[in-house]
Amino acid sequence: MKRQSSLVSESVLIEKLIQRDQQAFQWLYDQYSPALYGVVLRIVRDDEQAADLLQDIFVKIWKNLDGYDSSKGRLFTWMLNVARNSAIDSLRARKTQPSNAIRTDEENVHIVDRQHNTEQPNPEHIGIKDIVDQLRPERKQLIDLVYFGGYTHEEAAEKLNLPLGTVKTRVRAALQELKQLFK
Amino acid sequence: MNVTEYIASGILESYVMGAVSDQERREVECLSSIYPDIKQELDQLSEALENYALLHSVEPPASVKDKLLQQLDFEKPQEKEPIIRPMPVDMTTSDATTGLAFRTTWVVAASMGLLLLLFSFFLLSQLRTNQKTLAATRTTNETLQSEMRQLRDNQSQANQALAMLRQPGLRTIELQGNEKAPQGNMLVFWNTRTHQVAVDVRSLPALPADKQYQLWSMVDGKPVDAGVFEATNGNALVQRLNRSISRADAFAVTIENRGGSPTPTITTLLALATVNA
Repeated sequence: MKRQSSLVSESVLIEKLIQRDQQAFQWLYDQYSPALYGVVLRIVRDDEQAADLLQDIFVKIWKNLDGYDSSKGRLFTWMLNVARNSAIDSLRARKTQPSNAIRTDEENVHIVDRQHNTEQPNPEHIGIKDIVDQLRPERKQLIDLVYFGGYTHEEAAEKLNLPLGTVKTRVRAALQELKQLFK
Repeated sequence: MNVTEYIASGILESYVMGAVSDQERREVECLSSIYPDIKQELDQLSEALENYALLHSVEPPASVKDKLLQQLDFEKPQEKEPIIRPMPVDMTTSDATTGLAFRTTWVVAASMGLLLLLFSFFLLSQLRTNQKTLAATRTTNETLQSEMRQLRDNQSQANQALAMLRQPGLRTIELQGNEKAPQGNMLVFWNTRTHQVAVDVRSLPALPADKQYQLWSMVDGKPVDAGVFEATNGNALVQRLNRSISRADAFAVTIENRGGSPTPTITTLLALATVNA
């Protein structure tokens, strides 16, 4: 992958970030902000809110870098989880308001997804995206529901009217397929 | 445990999707640190999700980066504070507390300074007192030492005089001044065995600087030089004369030029006393 070269010097990058190196931060931001913003946008589905969240997320990353443990996972994965959790928390906080944001949105997961993709085409990944479109729709839907919607397996099972076992199997199959696609 | 079975259970997929309980999360993290196969599968799944996330990349508004570069502190070392955004509400309170803190700091600093100054004055006065005491003690000490030295001198002279007086064969002759020195009075100590002579001037007229008294011993009517001496004993108890007198019928005193004269000047004869047999 294209991130291979940067991963080699990931420990150096983290070292520099902990030293509060501004250039290292700019590099980190330029490298990862589109991916994090994309994830956040898919979860909250509001440009302004997503921009605010992205700012908060990078502040969190900046302040908690010394809490990142490279033995437990890759830096990008860790950043994705920070972004995803922040966005889902923000969404849940809003969920207490009368307009049941998640549920109404989730009805249209596919439609909104496609809207975003067509609005912001990312030429670098077009080829891969074609591959992802090969993902079976019911598997893709489940990934989007759990990963971008913050649904638990039980919630997803209830939402999709499926047995819990089927949801679990399908999640595993989806990830395995994803894994094969990117190999 | 059966690693393959664990991998096939689907728990790792749930883990990377963030759909596991805290207990399951700890279990996965623990096992992946033990079994390389689990770790490898976990990394591959994470990477797959990373790539999936990358597919949804959307360029964020440029303003976010500008705000971040302004907001983040690139100078100070790490702060653990999880504050994300400064609250505008805090401004007034923080201003007030800053003002109060500033005033408190100022008051404390001023008090400290004043205390320090007072303490310095106290120390200075203590130092001066000590210096004065030390100087006084030193003077007293010097006085005592010189007095002691004098006492020691006096004692050694007294001892010498006493030793001389104690020696057997000592004769003491008292000489009275004649008409030229009516108040004149002195003693001559003469030891007939050791032939030493000493005088103890009790009272004799003072002399000019170039004159001295001279003692003569009369032997068969002839004067023999018995040494010169001063008008007063000074600090000494007796004045020893550096002449050896083996015989004497009488002792006489004249005034001569300093250093003595081989023959007595009869006109200056002041006193004369015979030695009783």
